[in-house]
Amino acid sequence: MFFRLLMESFRRQRRRKTLAGLAILLGTTAVTAMLALATTIGDRIHSELAVYGANIVVYPAADQLDVKVGGVDVKPVTGAAYLKESGLKKLRGIFWANNITGVSPELPVHIAGTTPSGKAVDATGTGMWFKHSLSDGGGSPLVTGAPTLHPLWKLNGAWPDEALSGPASTEIAVGNALASQLGLRLGDTISSSGKVALRVVGIVTTGDAIDEQILLPLNAAQMLAGAPDAVRRVEISARTKPEDAFARKDPDSLSPKLREVWYCRPYANSIAYQIREAIPGARAEQIRRVEQSEGNVLKRISGLMWLISAAAMLAAGFAVSAAMATAILERQAEIGLMRSLGASKGTIAFLFYVETGLLALFAGGFGYLIGSGLAGWLGARIFGSDASVSSGTIFNPVLLPVIIALALVVAIAGSTPAIRRALTMEPSAILRADV
Amino acid sequence: MNGQLSMLSMLRRSLVHRRARSLSALLAMTISAAVATALLTLYADLDAKLHHEFRSFGANIVVTPAANGQTLPLDSLARVQQVAGPDALIAQYAYAVATTDRGTPVVVSGTDFDAVHRLNAWWQVDVWPSANDADVALLGQRAAQFVADERAVHLSFDGRPIVLRGAGRLHSGGDEDSRIYVPMATFTTWTGVQPTVIEVQIAGGAAKVEAAIARLRHLPGLKVEPVRQLVEGEDRIVDKTHALMYGAVLLIALTVAVSVLATLSASVLERRRDFALMKALGGSQAQLMAMFLLEALILAVTGVVVGFVLGSAAAFAISQLNFHTATLPRLGVIPAVVILNMLIAVLAALLPIRVLRNLQPAALLKGE
Repeated sequence: MFFRLLMESFRRQRRRKTLAGLAILLGTTAVTAMLALATTIGDRIHSELAVYGANIVVYPAADQLDVKVGGVDVKPVTGAAYLKESGLKKLRGIFWANNITGVSPELPVHIAGTTPSGKAVDATGTGMWFKHSLSDGGGSPLVTGAPTLHPLWKLNGAWPDEALSGPASTEIAVGNALASQLGLRLGDTISSSGKVALRVVGIVTTGDAIDEQILLPLNAAQMLAGAPDAVRRVEISARTKPEDAFARKDPDSLSPKLREVWYCRPYANSIAYQIREAIPGARAEQIRRVEQSEGNVLKRISGLMWLISAAAMLAAGFAVSAAMATAILERQAEIGLMRSLGASKGTIAFLFYVETGLLALFAGGFGYLIGSGLAGWLGARIFGSDASVSSGTIFNPVLLPVIIALALVVAIAGSTPAIRRALTMEPSAILRADV
Repeated sequence: MNGQLSMLSMLRRSLVHRRARSLSALLAMTISAAVATALLTLYADLDAKLHHEFRSFGANIVVTPAANGQTLPLDSLARVQQVAGPDALIAQYAYAVATTDRGTPVVVSGTDFDAVHRLNAWWQVDVWPSANDADVALLGQRAAQFVADERAVHLSFDGRPIVLRGAGRLHSGGDEDSRIYVPMATFTTWTGVQPTVIEVQIAGGAAKVEAAIARLRHLPGLKVEPVRQLVEGEDRIVDKTHALMYGAVLLIALTVAVSVLATLSASVLERRRDFALMKALGGSQAQLMAMFLLEALILAVTGVVVGFVLGSAAAFAISQLNFHTATLPRLGVIPAVVILNMLIAVLAALLPIRVLRNLQPAALLKGE
């Protein structure tokens, strides 16, 4: 009997069920979409913020002082300390290895030689990775290099290929200002004083000191400088959690338990600490201009998304509650009839709650699917189809139970006052009233 | 009784008599108005607020002498400030390579600590030296390791020694870590080197920065360059957040509108009996529709009044919580909110009209 009542209610009152279901469907769609966007906004904004470059820098602890003004070495350092390039693969083994999205080592060399037209070249060269595959043996390698950390660098031609570096010749890219000053074009070859032919394969425009420099693969720079495996400085781009008071604590002053917590949070400070542990003799620092400001922007934007999501949830909750209440109020006559036919209050309430629950379950489920799809579409539209947000992350399985639970709570809370009101009224009064 | 009067009293009775239903309809209209007000108020302010956050990235324009090796014309700082406007943050720097008491060469920079403090929010400094402290030095954390005594910093430039009082260390993670900063006046009397760099921060995005650069380029003897990644990055992120908010606003407004529509049209449909009765007593279709519409519009306008207050409060709270600055109520959003609410109300009254028109009063009143 109960099931027949339930089935008939859904079969016959299609309009009412459709309206209430539609309200729940749209409410859950909006809330799912907002929550899905809010949970992924951190990664998306982080990849946008990549234009600001690295947020952690690593250099040898025993280093000499840089004497640099405006990105130009005023007095080139002699007898500098180096890090080992071969040690960098340990970065793939630290606790937050997956949060490291870019690694760019640098080695400055002095390049002297002559251009094809006979002009003398006397420039600073920087050895770096362009498309280097960094791996510590296990897992998929991280393909990274300077261009990943500097998406605004404009390249004409191609990046030098480190596989083609040899003792006789190597590929290079030349800064825009230097190239026009020396009259260098793509395909030209600089014969350096070290008897190495430097073939220009790219001309790069950066808007900073690099415009006056020569970029070459790290292994070629090591050969030219006569310093195998040496790296002067490493820039690292890492996905971090904005700094808070706890992040600023010195881990060595914390109790072992708190230290563990500190260590396992992706603060820039913790990642820098782990880098120091992994690479002996290295000093790692957050680049505060990038890290602090990024944290600030990230905090504001994701905070805004969360607050708007909360507001959306509240508004959708009220709107759905109101729709549910109306749907029940409409059916006072039905309740009166059932009661006068001898149904107990409990049975009627149960029937109505089961109806509401089924509706919330189905509409909420569909709302979750549509909302997730919508969030994926909106995210792809706005932020471009990014590899960091694949289809696997569009449907966030954690959200499903949350959304269904929310839909149930809101629908039941919305219909409770209406059901109670209808049940407290005298059946005869309801049936007589022109409802 | 003339028609107008009876219409009004019917309206009053209809609203008062069925209080529960009127209240739930009013609640629905209030929610739609409050949501629209809050979102529109926040949205109107969004770009300004986001651009404000990007101020923490520091200078986005760098002014240097037109040719290498020159110094800036003497009154450059004042002229740049004048051209860039009073809101622009400006700091100037002079650089010289001095030797520490351990014989290490180090870049010493003369600057104005107050200006740098405002411009470079990311500098982490133990205690900022006060502006009228003449013989004070701020040591970059790497530079500090090459100084024997951080309290009394002995430096020499071109054979001229100076002893400065170390004010503490500076952490930045950039080139600043390897430098020592001293007040400009002390720096120029000691080294005789004039300022060579002015950093300018123009708030408000690429268009404003470009405009300021165009104005600054009219000044003679200066080279003016934007810090490209800052300017482009800021606009990209603000635009994308803006688009995201736009999508969110549309989505939420649509959701709430449809839910409200469902509630309201259900409550119109519910009154088929009233409709039939009035029709049987001789009311014309147009008269009845007018009454339903009027009722819905009264609810809509009341909803706007209450909703505007609630929505403005919500926008204020969100802004205060997130950006730590106030967003004041905007009267400018009211027309849009009124139009939205009216639209919902009219649609809610008109949607069921087809159902109502096909009703046979006699059949309905009999209870079929």
